[in-house]
Amino acid sequence: MLKYTLRRILGMIPMLFLISVVVFTLALAMPGDPFSGEIDPNNTDPEYIEEMREKLGLNDPLHIQYARWISNFVQGDFGESTRYKMEVSDLIAERLPNTVLLGATSLVITYILAFAMGMYAGRKPYTLGDHFIGGFNYFGLAIPSYIAGVFAIYIFSFQLGWIPFQGSVDITVEKGTLEYWLSRLHHVITPAIVLGLLNIASYTQFLRNDIIENSRKDFVRTARAKGTPEGKIYNRHILRNSIIPLITFLGFDIVNLVNGAIITEAIFTYPGIGQLFLNSVMNQDYPVLMTLTMMFSFLVLVGNLIADILYGVVDPRIRLD
Amino acid sequence: MRNKKSLFWLLAMLLGLSLFVAACGGEESSGTDDEQEDTTDTEDSDETSSEGGTMVFAVDSEPEGLFNWAFYGIVTDADIISLFDEGLIEYDENLKPQPNLATWETEDNKTFTFKFEEGVKWHNGDELTVHDWVFALETIAHPDYDGPRYENVKTIEGAEAYRNGEADSISGIEVIDDYTIKITFDKARVNNLTNLWAYPMNRTAFEGIEVADMSGSDPVRKNPVGLGPYKVENIVPGESVELVPFEDYWNGEPKMDKIIVKVVDRSSVLGALEKGEIDFITVHPSMGQQVEELDTADLVTYPGLSYYYVGFKLGKFDNESLEIVEKYDKYADKRLRQAMYYAINREEWIDAFFSGFGKPVNRPVPTAHWIAADDSELNTYPYDPEKAKELLDEAGYKDVNDDGWREDPDGNEFVVKFSHYDVGDPQYESRAKALTQYWNDVGLQTELEMVEVNLYYDMLENDNPEIEVFYGGWGTGTDPDPSATWKSNALWNYTRYDNPESDQLLDDALDMDVVGTSDEKRKEIYVEWQKLVNEEVPMLYITELEETVAVSKRLKGMEFDVSGWNSPVHWYIEE
Repeated sequence: MLKYTLRRILGMIPMLFLISVVVFTLALAMPGDPFSGEIDPNNTDPEYIEEMREKLGLNDPLHIQYARWISNFVQGDFGESTRYKMEVSDLIAERLPNTVLLGATSLVITYILAFAMGMYAGRKPYTLGDHFIGGFNYFGLAIPSYIAGVFAIYIFSFQLGWIPFQGSVDITVEKGTLEYWLSRLHHVITPAIVLGLLNIASYTQFLRNDIIENSRKDFVRTARAKGTPEGKIYNRHILRNSIIPLITFLGFDIVNLVNGAIITEAIFTYPGIGQLFLNSVMNQDYPVLMTLTMMFSFLVLVGNLIADILYGVVDPRIRLD
Repeated sequence: MRNKKSLFWLLAMLLGLSLFVAACGGEESSGTDDEQEDTTDTEDSDETSSEGGTMVFAVDSEPEGLFNWAFYGIVTDADIISLFDEGLIEYDENLKPQPNLATWETEDNKTFTFKFEEGVKWHNGDELTVHDWVFALETIAHPDYDGPRYENVKTIEGAEAYRNGEADSISGIEVIDDYTIKITFDKARVNNLTNLWAYPMNRTAFEGIEVADMSGSDPVRKNPVGLGPYKVENIVPGESVELVPFEDYWNGEPKMDKIIVKVVDRSSVLGALEKGEIDFITVHPSMGQQVEELDTADLVTYPGLSYYYVGFKLGKFDNESLEIVEKYDKYADKRLRQAMYYAINREEWIDAFFSGFGKPVNRPVPTAHWIAADDSELNTYPYDPEKAKELLDEAGYKDVNDDGWREDPDGNEFVVKFSHYDVGDPQYESRAKALTQYWNDVGLQTELEMVEVNLYYDMLENDNPEIEVFYGGWGTGTDPDPSATWKSNALWNYTRYDNPESDQLLDDALDMDVVGTSDEKRKEIYVEWQKLVNEEVPMLYITELEETVAVSKRLKGMEFDVSGWNSPVHWYIEE
């Protein structure tokens, strides 16, 4: 297992290198640069723009820019954001806690709801409750998150007044107090549900179908014949088998924790990594854009690895060597 | 037994979840209770002193967090800075400079003596002296400075030498005492004062910070120090700022307990206004009507300082030599351009796409500017398709092969290529389509191309031959000089309009020998210039938009003119 993991990690290096080349080329192939676009002639002048381009090396040939970037990058210097004028690492560190909180809350909600609904629906398939859950899930699958977000704000915030409509925290509460954390939770709950909607639906249906399928298998019939109580059959024999496919998702879920949610974060004006990424693309803030893309790529690779390893752990039939 | 246990767990999980949800709901409602208590408190105090309350100042895009005049880059940041800081000079409704923290005297427009108000306090308790201003000017002129404001300092005598490292200080700055300072410019200009950087920076806050690191430093991003009626208490990056009154403000007493700046997504703006969650936000003119229908907020409009136009590429610019090196023939005929102007029904177009929050403009100067020529002196190009057709016939653009479209005077196919930038808003395409339709109606075959916005400006600036007729907008500053977007040697003269007469007029208007210190004389020259470009129409001036803002009914005392809103010290909440 250790050998396998090491091999995989080593294999990531050329992959990440290739990704960096492709992303860098694509990013710089975008028309314009951080100083182009709509210009306010009162707030800048052509000399300044030219000077900044020269200073940031945007006039150099592509391969020189790439060499400069990658050599700084491997030394842990991610550069300075052209838009926020601060270190990219500081900028990401500033936003990451918000995104992790959002992702983690979303994940917890997703798993709790998916397990509860999936187990119920799998155990009592084709009943009213199952159909209800199924209907809810297809609704969740069908509705895009930007629609869900806007409606959630309209209904729960503007009509019912239960939740705030923007931000990650109430600025007036003192940092670090219990009230502060409750306010954080309060702000994160709706975006987290909206974000989790799609996953809740797919995980529930996955679990349900797997439980139904497994419940028709021979080992279940044997267990029934032995007189094993129904509850034990479902929660022990079937669930264990049915969780396996879900484990594969866990690796990606970890990636989602950090990736942020571009649309959801934008609608709830929740300052996280997703929003940062979107802005960096729009403003062609190359240092931020490149660092985030590399971070996402790395995490996807790691997530894959974790999923594979977990697979080996939960399913004894799979041996990783 | 097992079964029951698992069922128990399931229930426990569900219960846990519902508790979690309920807890959040409960917390929320307690939150609103608090707010309600707050508001009742304010009401109580209202009866006695009519003060207090919290104002929510909303912005619809995320601030970059560069909360200092010398470093900010976007309007959102500037709006937030204006709540807690102010400059030496302010501008009145005619965009004429007025003393604020300092008064000035000059005899020749070359040397200015500024006298600072005494006893003005910074938010950190320091007293404002001329040294703070010198500090700001030297920071901006420093070679490591990475903001865009050097333009406003470089006219001071010796600034260039300081920037190149040839001098230890700027020779044109002479401190007389703590409250008096003399600034000498490299030469006398009519607009030296309006162009001058007029925002001091607190020296102690930036102590020990290298100029190169300033823009990312704490005094810019986390705890800015200003001179305004409110001071920054707390910043949550990217989403909100909390401001509280500054007791030692020099010019009156702030009336509210708090100002909270919140970022609100555009999709939530109307709902938030309707619920009274926000007290102020700048809205797009197309949203104006919806805001007007709300019971909780008023739509306020005030004159803007920008104009929108349809430009013609008349030549090619060389970025190195800064001159127009080639002239294009396609749109060189003035009558063609004028015909295209007559063909547009601007009133109808503005009503349709800006809900009427705009006016047709006939010159590249917004009406609010003091140099604006009166419409009676200009051709107003009223919608007149017949006149357009006449002009086209006269210029030789006739349909010679009976395909329904006009050919050029040589009888070749003539297609107007119109480009408009695309930001993903479907309205942009329809408004561009509407313009092409006007030209089609007078027999000019027009093709529309929507180009992604970054690519668009890139192509526009580099005179890409794909761009022939283009849509654009310009903002004008407090000083009316349009040289940066109109002179033949200016990179941003996108039309590449090259007319020595126009250049001469623009130069004359800035020339002390010609205009002296008289605004009247200066205006005369600008009017002359506007008549010229109104006749020549290197671009079709389409509209000037009004600034549209939504102000909640409970927020009082906020006033607007062309220079923006009044000082927040006058704002108050009335329930």
